[in-house]
This record gives sequence, C-alpha cells and structure tokens, in this order.
Amino acid sequence: MWKYEKKLEYPVNITRKDLKMAKYILTQYGGPAGELAAAWQYLDQRYNMPDDKGKALLTDIGTEELAHVEIISAMLYQLMRGATIEELKDAGLGEHYAQFGMDLFPSDSFGNPFSMTYIKVSGDYIADIESDMGAEQRARATYEHLMDMTDDPEVLAPLSFLRQREIIHYERFKELRDYYLKKKI
Amino acid sequence: MMNNYNQAQDYYNYTNNNYNLPGYNQTKVESNLYNPYNGFIRGNMFPELYNTYKIDKPFEIKPMNEQAELLTYIDSLDFATIDLNLYLDNFPDNKDAINLFNQYRSLKEQYMKEYEGKYGPLLLDSDALNTYPWMWNQGPWPWE
Repeated sequence: MWKYEKKLEYPVNITRKDLKMAKYILTQYGGPAGELAAAWQYLDQRYNMPDDKGKALLTDIGTEELAHVEIISAMLYQLMRGATIEELKDAGLGEHYAQFGMDLFPSDSFGNPFSMTYIKVSGDYIADIESDMGAEQRARATYEHLMDMTDDPEVLAPLSFLRQREIIHYERFKELRDYYLKKKI
Repeated sequence: MMNNYNQAQDYYNYTNNNYNLPGYNQTKVESNLYNPYNGFIRGNMFPELYNTYKIDKPFEIKPMNEQAELLTYIDSLDFATIDLNLYLDNFPDNKDAINLFNQYRSLKEQYMKEYEGKYGPLLLDSDALNTYPWMWNQGPWPWE
C-alpha cells in the first residue's frame, strides 16, 4: 500500500505565473516521457523481476516517480494560478480551459491525453529494465529541453532536481541490468 | 529556540569535503557522499554521479520562516534516505551505507516529531493527531 505524506519530495514555490511554461511542462505529467508513465511502467514490471533485488528497486523507483508526479502537478498548479481566460487563450490553453477548467489533466504539451500505450512492458526482465534505462534518458533529455526554455530560478530549481533524479535512476537500473547479465539468472 | 534545533543547525552546516577524493569506491560509500542538505539541493547524494545542466551551482533552499527551515531539515534527511535506499537495493551488503541510512532515518524521525508537534501532522501515523478538533484536514497543502 501507499501512505500519503503531506509534503513534496522537493519544494515548489513558483510566484510568477507562466502559462506557456505550464503548457510545455505538461508533457512531464502526461506525456510519453512523463512521470506518470514512468511510475506505472516500473510498478507494472516489478511483479516479474527474477529476484527480490529487482522487485525492491522497481517498487522503490516507481514509488519515487509517484512523488515526482506530485512535484510536476504542483508546478503546473502554481504556473497557472490566477490566470485569466484571455491569458489562457493566448498561451494555447483555451482548449484545456474549455474541457477541464483549471483542473489538471494528464496530457502531453500538444494536448494529447495520457496514454497507457506509453508504458513499455515485455515479460522479459532484461528488455523491461533496458526500456526503463531508455525512459530515464528520454525524461532527462526532456527536462533539459524544458530548462532551455526558462530562466526563472523558481522553475529551474525543481526541473533541475527532477533531471538529476533521472540520472540516478538510470544508473541504478543499469547496475541491476549488469548484475542480471553477469549472474545469468 | 529549542536545544535540538540548534544541534540541527550544526548538522546543517556540516560540510563533507571528502567527495573530492579520487577513486570512487562502492564499498566505501560513506566518505564519498554529500551531506543530506547538499545532496538534497542537487537531487543526488553521489558526487561521482552528479552532472549539471545549464545552472552553475545548485539552488540553495531559502526557508522563509522557522517552519520552512525545519521542513528543509526533514526534506534533506528524507532525501538522503531515499537515495541511499535505491543504492542499498543494489548493494545490500554495504554496512557503511546501512549505518548511514539508519543514522539519517533516526535523525529524520526526531525532526518529524518536533515539526508535527509544532505545526501539525505530515503522516497519518503521527502522535500530533491526538488532538481535538481533528487536524489532518488542515492546510497548507504541499502544493500551496
């Protein structure tokens, strides 16, 4: 089971509204390299890991990704806070407002709804872990693209934190993959 | 200020200079790690794996008040245990990392207790819920 802790893994305190940035960051919520896809991918794959080590790592990284979904959500909420209808329309978020109002909805930056087809599971733990390594690299690249598009330190700080976590997760998946290849489980 | 809060200050300012040593060795993890705060602001406890993009140095957390400051200690220690947890899943025989994990975990518990006593529960397991009226449904919420 999961228990709720009433805090973020990393604080989000964005004071400057930025609807364009919100639209771009949306992809890390419900896009193909987003946190939601990562969380679900690892949590679905964990059942068929060959030993306890793999089950633990996929459970723990999957759990951390859920906390990252919450960080991204907080960023979206704060970037959009207090926006007028005109501002939303100008930023290309008029369609979002029409369908969802000011609620969050997982989609990519183009507005395509989140799809479970983003998640890669194969029934082969090596293939699964290598797809996880790829997922971490794609998410890292996306965070770099997002960091290229803002100079607001309040936005850069959590983006930088999340990017760094992709690097650590990639390393841990790689260690696990190498361990399994060496052990020939 | 309470006494153990001052101790936290010392701890907070503690800097680990060992991470510049060459030859990162996974069996000697403890001397090569950032301290919890420096790891937290980087999103990475492992200097050998730290890799920057765009920004020259990590953003410092600047707490606005005592509550936010205490939460930063908790966040830092929490982060250190999360990162050590992932490491230990892969290297479960590393005694030093286990000791460090437990040191940070128990320190975090102390600060959690202090924080929850003053500002309300972070977890539904908290002693701070033994109050009237019910406190769990009080803000501020993490995203506010």
